[in-house]
Amino acid sequence: MAERRRRFGYDRAVGLLGGAFATAVFLFLIAPLVVLVVSSFNRDASMAFPPSGLSLRWYAEVLGSPDWQVSFRLSGVLVLLVVPTTVVIGTLAAYGLAQGSFPGRRLLQGLALSPLMVPEIITALGLLYYFHGVGLINTVTGLWLAHSLVALPFVVRAVMVSAAQLDPALERAATSLGAGRVRVFFTVTLPLLRPGIIAGAILAAVTSLGEVAVTALVAGANTTTVPLRIFSAVQYQLDPSMAAVSTLLMAASVVVMVIADRFARISEAL
Amino acid sequence: MTPTRRWAGLAYVAPLVVFLAALFLVPLVELFRLSFSPVDTYNAALPGFTLNQYKRVFTEPYFYGSLLETLATALLVATLCVVLAYPAAYVLARRSAGAMRTLLFVIVISPLLTSVVVRTYGWVVLLSGNGVVNRLLVATGLRDQPARLLTSYPSVVIAVTHVLLPFAIIPLTTALGGLDHNLHRASQTLGAGPVRTFLRVTVPLSLPGVVTGALIVFALAMGIYITPLLVGGVTQPLAGIRVYDQVETVFNYPVAAALSFALLALTLLSTTLLAGAFRIWERRLHG
Repeated sequence: MAERRRRFGYDRAVGLLGGAFATAVFLFLIAPLVVLVVSSFNRDASMAFPPSGLSLRWYAEVLGSPDWQVSFRLSGVLVLLVVPTTVVIGTLAAYGLAQGSFPGRRLLQGLALSPLMVPEIITALGLLYYFHGVGLINTVTGLWLAHSLVALPFVVRAVMVSAAQLDPALERAATSLGAGRVRVFFTVTLPLLRPGIIAGAILAAVTSLGEVAVTALVAGANTTTVPLRIFSAVQYQLDPSMAAVSTLLMAASVVVMVIADRFARISEAL
Repeated sequence: MTPTRRWAGLAYVAPLVVFLAALFLVPLVELFRLSFSPVDTYNAALPGFTLNQYKRVFTEPYFYGSLLETLATALLVATLCVVLAYPAAYVLARRSAGAMRTLLFVIVISPLLTSVVVRTYGWVVLLSGNGVVNRLLVATGLRDQPARLLTSYPSVVIAVTHVLLPFAIIPLTTALGGLDHNLHRASQTLGAGPVRTFLRVTVPLSLPGVVTGALIVFALAMGIYITPLLVGGVTQPLAGIRVYDQVETVFNYPVAAALSFALLALTLLSTTLLAGAFRIWERRLHG
């Protein structure tokens, strides 16, 4: 009995220790983001933490600055271009890959996800050199294509989760009831793929909003996205206006996610 | 799909294939060809063929040293990520659905949903001269004066680990969540305590999740460059930063291309070796 009680105490201690360790990990994950949000409300021009007083002056400064306004508009335009592009290409491909059984399917599946496997600096350098040749450096079109390339594998992967669960009997039933192939795709297939498509759209939007690794090489003075402007600014100065922009960028991602989470569980797609 | 529609699957994939061929495969092939181009005195590429760039990459310590350093860093980061991910994934997998689980899940994926610049900037703030970490160090008497944490190697490891940690937690949570709870009960009725059950039942069964997470983190850590650049500065001896430096300050594209492909080859080779080693280890464990 005593031996048993002792072992129980030991197990409990280990359990508590594990819980404390897990808590520390969660704090580690969230700490930089919390510090950033708090710093953005600093009254002073220093990055001292905790701030000496609270104010919204850095938000006013950022939102009133013409440079930042141009970047906000550009990042918004890119999201509106990248999401439809990747969702259309990615949904079609995921459906074909999950439901088809043509030769070379596995190879194509590997190709579809391969941009995730190649180190980001190589994708960036490849596009930089290639865009130089075709005159797409420092253009919105160039960034549109680059962001679509980076976001596409996420969309394919998210939609494939839904497409793999799709019951082909439902499509057959619709066909036997007289619906044409196009009608079946739009009235049966697409609604069934909806959770995956929404998850993919969120991931594409968030990827485009935050992309820097490739953008840093293919963008230019006229095409500075919001995260790229933060990237160049952080290398030279450290003031709360950058924390304010970062917080706005984070808020934009959260808004996209919360809206979309009403329609689908994105947790399953990751 | 009916047999005829099986082939139709190929038509659905066609736009993706065209897109990736034009924007991914062609640029990579062009870049590969560039890595064999001779350069003039201004580092501009000339027509012709040379192995000079690869010779430089494998003989100059500035380049091959960075490849080794990148390999060591990626291994360290992958190890740290698995160790840190395990308790977090365990807690996440054991919690039943509810507000707390959702909150923890949002915390875990929050780094994936915020820009890498934003996350890294958070670390810049934390680690700066008058940042939180330095204040804590001074206040607790561990240091007399603020330490130079930014532009140091440890800060690079911390920031990269933070950025990649979710990629280890997510597969591990899936693996732990899929375990049959009856196995735990069986182990405990046979007399093993929770700790022993954890070490002899849970950990071995979750190894596939550990391996997946470790390999993803390792591969991503090999090519990461924005985060170490922001936290550690351009002098950090990592291959990704050296490539960026060759492009942005030296304008030597052919050398940058050669170093990139050396990095890609090293990444593929070491990932394959690691995956093989893990498979042998798993077979021994369950064999």
